[in-house]
Amino acid sequence: MADNKIVEKIKSPLEEKIKISLVVNGQEKELLVNATMRLADILREELQLTGTKVSCEIGRCGACSVIMDGKLVNSCLVRAYQANQKEILTIEGLGMNGLHPIQKAFLEEGGFQCGYCTPGMIIAVKALFDQYANPTKEQILEGLSGNLCRCTGYGGIIRAIQKLTES
Amino acid sequence: MVNFSYSSNLQGSFERPDGVDKVTANLKFLTDLSFPNMLYGKILRSVYPHAKIISISAKNAEELPGVRAVITSKDVPGLNRFGLIFPDQPVLCEDRVRYVGDAVAAVAAETEEIAEKALQLIEVEYEPLPVIDDPEKALLPSAPQLHPDGNILHQASYQKGNVEEAFQTCDFIVEETYELPRQMHAYMETEGGVIVPEKDGRITVYAGTQHGYKDRFQLARILDIPESKIRVVSSPMGGSFGGKDELNIQPYGALLAIKTGCPVKIHQSRRESVRSGLKRHPMKITMKTGASRSGKILAHQVRIIADTGAYATLGPAVLDFAVEHAAGPYIIRNVHVEGVSVYTNNGVAGEFRGFGGNQVTFALEGQMDRLAAKLGICPMELRKRNLRKADDPGPVGQEIAPTDGAAQVLKAISQSLLLNNKEKREESTSQWKKTGIGVAIAMHGGGLGFGRLDPAGGRISLNEEGKIEISFGFEEFGQGLLSVIEQLAIKEIGCSSNDIKITIGDTDCVPSSGSSTASRGTSMVWHALQRMKGPFKKRLLEKASQCTGVPVDQLYLGPSGIWSCESKTEPLITYQQIAYETKDDPIQIETEFHFPTTPHSIPGGHYLYSFAACAARVEVDVLTGIVRVKNLEQSVAAGPVIYPTGYLGQIEGGSVMALGYTLLEEALMEKGKYVTENFDSYLIPTINDIPLSMNITAIEDLYEGDEYGPRGVGEIGTVAVAPAIVKAIYDAIGLWVTKLPVSREEIVKAVNQREMKEWLTTKL
Ligand code: FES
Ligand code: FES
Repeated sequence: MADNKIVEKIKSPLEEKIKISLVVNGQEKELLVNATMRLADILREELQLTGTKVSCEIGRCGACSVIMDGKLVNSCLVRAYQANQKEILTIEGLGMNGLHPIQKAFLEEGGFQCGYCTPGMIIAVKALFDQYANPTKEQILEGLSGNLCRCTGYGGIIRAIQKLTES
Repeated sequence: MVNFSYSSNLQGSFERPDGVDKVTANLKFLTDLSFPNMLYGKILRSVYPHAKIISISAKNAEELPGVRAVITSKDVPGLNRFGLIFPDQPVLCEDRVRYVGDAVAAVAAETEEIAEKALQLIEVEYEPLPVIDDPEKALLPSAPQLHPDGNILHQASYQKGNVEEAFQTCDFIVEETYELPRQMHAYMETEGGVIVPEKDGRITVYAGTQHGYKDRFQLARILDIPESKIRVVSSPMGGSFGGKDELNIQPYGALLAIKTGCPVKIHQSRRESVRSGLKRHPMKITMKTGASRSGKILAHQVRIIADTGAYATLGPAVLDFAVEHAAGPYIIRNVHVEGVSVYTNNGVAGEFRGFGGNQVTFALEGQMDRLAAKLGICPMELRKRNLRKADDPGPVGQEIAPTDGAAQVLKAISQSLLLNNKEKREESTSQWKKTGIGVAIAMHGGGLGFGRLDPAGGRISLNEEGKIEISFGFEEFGQGLLSVIEQLAIKEIGCSSNDIKITIGDTDCVPSSGSSTASRGTSMVWHALQRMKGPFKKRLLEKASQCTGVPVDQLYLGPSGIWSCESKTEPLITYQQIAYETKDDPIQIETEFHFPTTPHSIPGGHYLYSFAACAARVEVDVLTGIVRVKNLEQSVAAGPVIYPTGYLGQIEGGSVMALGYTLLEEALMEKGKYVTENFDSYLIPTINDIPLSMNITAIEDLYEGDEYGPRGVGEIGTVAVAPAIVKAIYDAIGLWVTKLPVSREEIVKAVNQREMKEWLTTKL
């Protein structure tokens, strides 16, 4: 089978562990992981931070969005070695001292339904507001265009953002 | 300020019971769970859309360090089949595969990587067979037979009057064939969960589904163990839209967990999900509709051919639904509808929000617009002239609960901002962009319909902690069912949200309520509470009276406990106190009933209907063929609103999902193989694709004497959108689109044709 040949060429992922250190939600972490382990898996499996979701694994849906050194990234595309020495903010870090205003706005305006895109979406909104205090329509559309939501049709998400820009 | 405009007449919302956990991600989805000694499962699916299996050798895989079990068809102790209506899909194929999602083997290993590697070491020898990639080819006498009874899964028809004769008398006839694509549910959480063998010999299945009890039934049959040995925890889920109604990974997880004695987690990748998951039925629908000069529709002939893919699942019911709704809300004297659902080697099509209504309504509303254009009548007026009255029978002549919904939504949409030019419109930015407006309406049945087992039920009790515990066998997949239960309980019981504990989606502790499908959840919760509230309140009040000496008629249920007419600041007796007093004989009320159905024996015929009208304004770029929906309005008649934010979310979310169906989405298959395998080629709407202006109007009035309460709105918001957008495209550039998703090439080509240019010049 063609499939088999490709697989044989792939090096076993069990090889080559490296030590990385990173700050996740303000806490320093030292880990011994495969150099190519995805940041999404490091968070979900090594650190039990399952708030960050995985849905497409190819950088197309944003369910795995986290903020790394101040920038919004898809954690399914970031490898362990790339996350080394970086500072990461995940959804679990956002509401540590009570609900963040973004979370409140999502609650009040129906910015979610099933909640699966929500951690990534809220993190993307956080990145948007970190960049622009008062984002324009274009900035909002651009900033969230990498985050898919199948449930809401984005109406509630936009209402939540509107509420935040008004306050 | 940001110039979006999302409005509605829905006001006064509440936070969802699951809200805080969702925005903080404290909520664990079933695919987030892990257990000690947990293994990872992977499923090997067929390489070919159609082939004989000559041999399977798992030896190399079994020898790979870290692999704990490999299973093939030989390892299925019970019935090696599943399927909601009748079981025809192999859990693990024995000697033949019929589509690329067919499972051939499965592996449990210590890590996901090892499991993945092991799959590749399983040697399967196939002998490819001819592939049927088109339902029309499947119907040819020379076509290979995919199932023992041939390639026809199901046929359904409806006939009244005599269409042939009636067409002779028509002044205008429109005939057209519409083609609808294979849409993917694209729930953000792919199928998955963990199956855990318990110490007492039972298993717990933590995996999303829309009907936990049904999963339990099907799993018991596969595993050959009694249902009582299986606990299904089926909620919460990261979306479903019908797609997780049928079994997906559960049988493999369960077989592997039993074989290894360890918890087994399976979480499909998006590619695996696309390959194995259900889709919406592609349909080809031919309609011939004739009317008199005065705009009375006299005859309507419909032929539906549905591509159901390799296996049945709910395919027969989807076809019945499409046949039933083929004349929609219009009263037509002569109707003949014939539908056939055909097996092919394509992906399995099954249950999907709208359930066959989307396809057939697209065609029906297309006919209305074409007829109106031919007759020179305003399309709204043509609809009005043929619209059902409140006490007219249903679309297949059956008795239904009287409803004025069709007229209500049509009237509401005709008063919409968009159709009355009140909406502030950005005018076309260039001469190469043309705008147009379209309107369509839809009628949609709720519940599973006549002749289908559609039981419902619920339980309310005062538990040990003094909480009013409300239990339903439903699942929460985003639709807001928990809020509906909470809001209804507060209203019907009189307690506060703090007094309530809601239990759903766990077969060990909920009564059977039927499936969380067919827009039935809200409706069934309401019905159950109507039945249970009286006896429940009575028992609480009697106990309170007994404890306090205050007569029952001076007591009522309120926040935290039972209040007397005199008590002003606190209850006379709290729920906790009553719970303590009744600990030997806890107060518990259960109910069981059936979803209301029509008394007429029409398979699948519905009794309760909801309605929607949609108006859309599009901008068509005639150079690139890109269509953008600028404004979208919907009016919906589905009875009282229980949870406004949820209702709005269902209609907005449904609208955008339908926008994707119209303009973007198609799970493309070539020769039985998926071409679109992930979100890089299967495009669902992003925030950049949605209308920047949406307005939703909920019409809450029920017809006089209607005792059936709120109808669900999970599906209705998806139905009228596609025909409205397509009519708007016609309005903009004069092109009648018949095939979805709308093709950019088709638009560009059409615009370049001479007639179209003329049409455009006259329009300018
Ligand atoms: S899972 Fe990372 S972008 Fe989709
Ligand atoms: S809330 Fe379900 S995908 Fe966004």
